[in-house]
Amino acid sequence: MMHSSRLTRRSVIKGGLGLALASTALTTLGLPMPARAAGKKVIIGAFADGGLTPFKEKIIPLAKEQGFDIQFLEDEYGVTLEKWFADAQSGAGQYDLYLLDDPWVPQFGAANVLEDLGAGGIDGSDKDWIGPMIDMGYWPPRQGPRVKGFENAKPTLICVPFVGDLQTLTYRNDVFTGGAPKTWDEVIAKGKEGVAAGKIKYPVVFRGVSGNPIVTSWYPIFLSFGGAFFDDKWNPIFNSAEGKASADFFVGTMKQNAPSGVVEFDSDQEGAAILGGDAGAIIQYSGNALKADDPAQTKVAGKLDFGVVPKQEKAIAQMGIFIAGVPKSAPNKANSIEFLKWYVSAETQAKLSEAGSIPVKRSAFGIAKPGNRLIPVALQQLDAGALPRPRTPDWAKVEELLGIELNKALQAGSGGGAALDKAAKQVKDYLTTAGYY
Amino acid sequence: MRTGTQARKYRLQGAGLDLALPYLMLAPGLTIVLGVLVYPLWDGLRASTRAYRYGSPVADVGLQNYLHLWSDAQFLNALWVTVKFVALSVSFEAVLGFALALFCLHEFRGIRLLRTVLIIPMVITPVVVAIVFRLIYASDAGMLTALSKATGGGEVQILGNPLNAFIGLVALDVWEWTPLMFLILLAGLQSLPHEPFEAARVDGAGAWRVFADLTFPMMRPVLAVAIVLRTIDAFGTFDQVFVLTRGGPGEATRLISIYGYDTAFKFQQTGYAAALFVTIGLVVLALAFSAIRLLRRVDAS
Repeated sequence: MMHSSRLTRRSVIKGGLGLALASTALTTLGLPMPARAAGKKVIIGAFADGGLTPFKEKIIPLAKEQGFDIQFLEDEYGVTLEKWFADAQSGAGQYDLYLLDDPWVPQFGAANVLEDLGAGGIDGSDKDWIGPMIDMGYWPPRQGPRVKGFENAKPTLICVPFVGDLQTLTYRNDVFTGGAPKTWDEVIAKGKEGVAAGKIKYPVVFRGVSGNPIVTSWYPIFLSFGGAFFDDKWNPIFNSAEGKASADFFVGTMKQNAPSGVVEFDSDQEGAAILGGDAGAIIQYSGNALKADDPAQTKVAGKLDFGVVPKQEKAIAQMGIFIAGVPKSAPNKANSIEFLKWYVSAETQAKLSEAGSIPVKRSAFGIAKPGNRLIPVALQQLDAGALPRPRTPDWAKVEELLGIELNKALQAGSGGGAALDKAAKQVKDYLTTAGYY
Repeated sequence: MRTGTQARKYRLQGAGLDLALPYLMLAPGLTIVLGVLVYPLWDGLRASTRAYRYGSPVADVGLQNYLHLWSDAQFLNALWVTVKFVALSVSFEAVLGFALALFCLHEFRGIRLLRTVLIIPMVITPVVVAIVFRLIYASDAGMLTALSKATGGGEVQILGNPLNAFIGLVALDVWEWTPLMFLILLAGLQSLPHEPFEAARVDGAGAWRVFADLTFPMMRPVLAVAIVLRTIDAFGTFDQVFVLTRGGPGEATRLISIYGYDTAFKFQQTGYAAALFVTIGLVVLALAFSAIRLLRRVDAS
């Protein structure tokens, strides 16, 4: 009896192994798998941005009425690209849908980690799409130069436009009393008058932080001066005479008429400057523009109007749409595609427009009561001219190289043209190493 | 009473278990170490010899990634910024930490509370510290600007000026990590033998003499360990910079960790980033070994 009940090494090992097996079995069979829930679950990954507020507040509840169980996971902009790319590439399956910034599409496309949405039944040839927006969902691009390795590949619809965001001008109507300023010279001249009259502190405000923020702020000025970024062979040509003039204007005149700390300004500071009533004009996406009529979010409600971006040569804005892609590793792939079909239907797009967000279908711009004054202006801007950033998987690096040099010139308050020369050389070197030529 | 066969069986089983048991006990720990340390290290080394395109390896390039580092102006700049940052931060932290430890060695009313308060910065999450410093440094609505305006000054430019931003980053690091130095050095001071100090006092030695001839030489091993630990840690500084400046303005605060992170995850140059981190790992290891060897040589002499 004594022998049989004694604690032996064998019994300890047997017991331990038994316990380990039992706990493994319990874990496997007993615990729910949240990412693989049944029904119409859709896990959406998004970066935090005011441009998605109408979607969150008005469209998600509508989707729930349609039987979709939406899980909306937000992250800070600066970490989402790397996080989602790692998720897609490793096949981790943490998301069903990414709401990407459109310049990221080529990177995901080249890595072949997103579903073919055309094969899933989404019609990319629908005439109701805003043409330049649906174009951004194809990889390789349907128009323009293609990177090596994809020259002869068939364009596939891997993303669909989600929120049709693009840059427009927001200006103070008590400073620019004759309506939206038409040229950059007018922005500065009338803005100075506004400063002298004590209505505002600075004629303009923009983002000066190196990398994506400063390039995003400079780009519409670059386009309006008539600049082009790459030629058809991926040679950087942004340091052309037009490009240099835009950069000199940006780091010189624009800086002199902006807050003194603009070098360190990102979207939160530029938003505070325009919504707080300090700045006279800004080129921005819809995130802060949507707050312009809400007294809880701005000190100058009723004094902010929208217009087409000013021009020097052309009035061209930069498009920066939210664009949805379904990773191949999505746990609820069918639900995601079904959700997208519902979301991009003309009816839902009309609801999105009513909710105050910029739609991606032309018919939704024509509804009787758009939920925001910005929406018709966005259509005007689209018709006047709006361009996406170059469709290369290496845009993040190109933007980084250019952004650093522009930021250095901005610190100095001069030398924009020289900064572009330096950046062009660095970009060329980088793309050479990456096998572009 | 066991029979001869039974006894032989038990003996054999016991012998078998005796042989296998240590390995069985070690197996889980060893598997974890292999899985989370050895394999990633080996995989990193392998990745560092490959070229990646769109996140996937496309070719074996041998040591090309390592060689390319030394002609990469951005890497060299990041390395230089990191070396300056580590040297300045750790120097200030060592001096301040030592001074605070010497001060807190004395027993007086409230000393326990003071010692506790002094270590608070290092227990705050680094990201939170960076956010708070950003709110202090911001030129438009930061505390320094508010203070300056209240006293008749203008906006204080910290994060928009390369030199000021770098100094601001060092100040943040010094604020956060001086307590670690202080804690290590205070423990070292408290463990020193009393007799030499009593003898010096009897001989009439002044405070400076005692510090220069006794305290400092006796504390040198502890100080060296603290400095080596902090240096290794400072080379890996990431979160504060990521939140405070993202490496800007320009490249003024772009530490090697930020450059490596961007290279690996933002630009998808996995192989090149692996070579970068292996190189930095070797540099830090070399520094640590050099410091330890130097310490031994000093001790021996």
